[in-house]
Amino acid sequence: MKIKLTIIAVLLLAVLYWAMLDSGSSSIGSDKIEIKFWNLFNGPDGTTMLKMVKRFNEENPDITVRMQRMKLATYYNKIFVAGLGNRTPDVFVVHSGQVERFKSAKLLRPITDLLESENGISIDDFAPRALEAVSRDGEMYGVPLDTHMLGMYYNNELLRQTGFVDESGNPKPPTNLEEFLAVLKANTYDKNWGFTFTWLRTNLFSIMSQYGGEFFNEDYSQCTLNAPENVAALAMCADIVNKYKYSPTPGTEQSEGWIGFCQGRIAIAFEGIYMLPELNRMDTLDFSAAPLPVLGTQKAAWADSHVLCISKDIDGKRRQAAWRLIKFLSDNSLDWAKGGQVPVRKSLLESDTFKSMEIQSVFAQQLPYIRYMPRVPFGGDFCAELDVAAEKALRGTVTAQEALDIATANMNKVIKRYKDREEFGRIGK
Amino acid sequence: MVNNKSNKYLGYLFLLPYLSVFVVFLIVPLIYGLALSFFGWEMLSPEPPQFLGLGNYKEALESDYFVKALWATVRFVVMSVPLNVFVALLVACGINSVAQKRQGFYRAIYFLPTLLTISVAGILWTWFYNSEFGLFNHILSYFDIKIPWVTDPNMAMKSIVIMTLWWTLGGAMMILLAGLSNIPKQFYEAASLDGANVWHRFIHITIPTLKPVLLFVLVMQVIGSFQVFGQTYIITGGGPELSTRVLVHYIYDVAFGEYRMGYSAALSWLLFLVIAVFSIIQFRVMREK
Repeated sequence: MKIKLTIIAVLLLAVLYWAMLDSGSSSIGSDKIEIKFWNLFNGPDGTTMLKMVKRFNEENPDITVRMQRMKLATYYNKIFVAGLGNRTPDVFVVHSGQVERFKSAKLLRPITDLLESENGISIDDFAPRALEAVSRDGEMYGVPLDTHMLGMYYNNELLRQTGFVDESGNPKPPTNLEEFLAVLKANTYDKNWGFTFTWLRTNLFSIMSQYGGEFFNEDYSQCTLNAPENVAALAMCADIVNKYKYSPTPGTEQSEGWIGFCQGRIAIAFEGIYMLPELNRMDTLDFSAAPLPVLGTQKAAWADSHVLCISKDIDGKRRQAAWRLIKFLSDNSLDWAKGGQVPVRKSLLESDTFKSMEIQSVFAQQLPYIRYMPRVPFGGDFCAELDVAAEKALRGTVTAQEALDIATANMNKVIKRYKDREEFGRIGK
Repeated sequence: MVNNKSNKYLGYLFLLPYLSVFVVFLIVPLIYGLALSFFGWEMLSPEPPQFLGLGNYKEALESDYFVKALWATVRFVVMSVPLNVFVALLVACGINSVAQKRQGFYRAIYFLPTLLTISVAGILWTWFYNSEFGLFNHILSYFDIKIPWVTDPNMAMKSIVIMTLWWTLGGAMMILLAGLSNIPKQFYEAASLDGANVWHRFIHITIPTLKPVLLFVLVMQVIGSFQVFGQTYIITGGGPELSTRVLVHYIYDVAFGEYRMGYSAALSWLLFLVIAVFSIIQFRVMREK
């Protein structure tokens, strides 16, 4: 008797479970269009996005957007696999550095027609550098939702204590190498550090760019990571760690030094605007932000964008519905910016609402000279090599020259492999 | 009661669910992977897979990254397995010698970490190991000692070994403890009467009687250790300077970072060969005893 009851209970549960699974995929009304929207917004940004999507659903009764958030670690795997099976979600988010990869895998098609349509967005309204990051051959492959660049966060209290203040007593952040090193020196004592490297990739990419470094030759057939400018930039950074000892040795966790900054033991760190919500949670931390100081010969700062893309497999009404979602999100990207992002629409950047976002506005000052990672299908390999080379040099295992020579040789092998596979025609186009 | 004949079929019926899963999710992918390892197939490339023969294997053996990953894995196995088995044996003997009543408490204490998933354990130890602000170095700072737990290429793998010891000790200990409690008490009593001290009893009674169990633990540890991934992935991310990027991690990076499925399949088969060789050696040793 007992066994029978158990079996019935299990069966009932199974049916219930099945029904629950099924309800997710059943269509609601016949004329209502359902849009699947995948993104990688897992933190507080996911909550912001969810609110925006809810509002869109309320304002557009003929469309239902189903949003799915995924972890970054497996996000691209899932979206690639879905794409190869022609099951890409209708709208999805990719980082701008991935656009080339998606395009060469034929998982994206241009959306310029939608931008130029009646219900479009003027291309002139986009910040030029962000626009470049999603454009190839005059066609746009997605709409940048934001731009998140690297900037300088500094600890007000520590700067005041060490006398780096202006006439009115406000902390005065460094703007060039000389001032930068002076602040670092004064703030390195006991358990305190003047500086910390955070994500080596973004930190070094920015500083190398400030030194005028290029990473590939013009037709992307050779890697130039070991160019003299890049070597000089990396050597200077290595000196900060190993010679002057103003920064803890970069750990394996990118956030290791960052924790120190959050604890108020580090005067300066270069991090992305997306770290703002985390800093705002620290009640005891008195911090400000400024554009990166120019450590080399020119202004530059690493940046990336979240790009809204449309599935290549949809057409007609469905594609229009997907576009309405994208336009809505872009039009309302000030809400998005509040959570630690910078919008890319000029009209929004000039609005009073944005100007009232203090830290975001400071970061946005860098818009004219932000720099995106090279637009190559082997961008992933490039970042991996840059990471390892930077790590080796900053830890003093090898010199900057040696580290970058090895990375360059490895990159050239990767390029050759692409060349051998006759994929080369598409690179850099 | 069912008769013998239907009993026989009933047996197969019970095996069927697992067998079907085994075939679909293990045997088929295994063969598919072997075939794939002879092809150049970049998942994201619109080009069809291209037959390379042994090209992928050649590339692996010539690759600095593969050699480095293999070396990292071997270092981990060599450091971790003997330490794990030795400490597990010590703890098991210790627990075995306390009064039966209190054994449960100690068993639970040592077994508890094993219950944590690798993500929880890994994140926990990431905080312990943080070189500037972590728990260990905070405590050590009172003695003016600073250990670069995971920030030094020579130290990082040792730190992973220590963490692994803490995390996996319980499993090995439980098996050894079961083996120990099966050794008849009379053996020890008889030896004591003959004048054998603790050390003699351990060497001449405990070790020989426990040998089959010890070897089982050893084989499982070796196979498991060659497949180490979670610890290094979470705590060090393979660093510093790739010193802890083990083979499985490298395979993962190639497959799901670069989407080079053919090459990663070849790497997987190389890992399989390494594990197979070690396992065969150990089984030989086992049979001889």
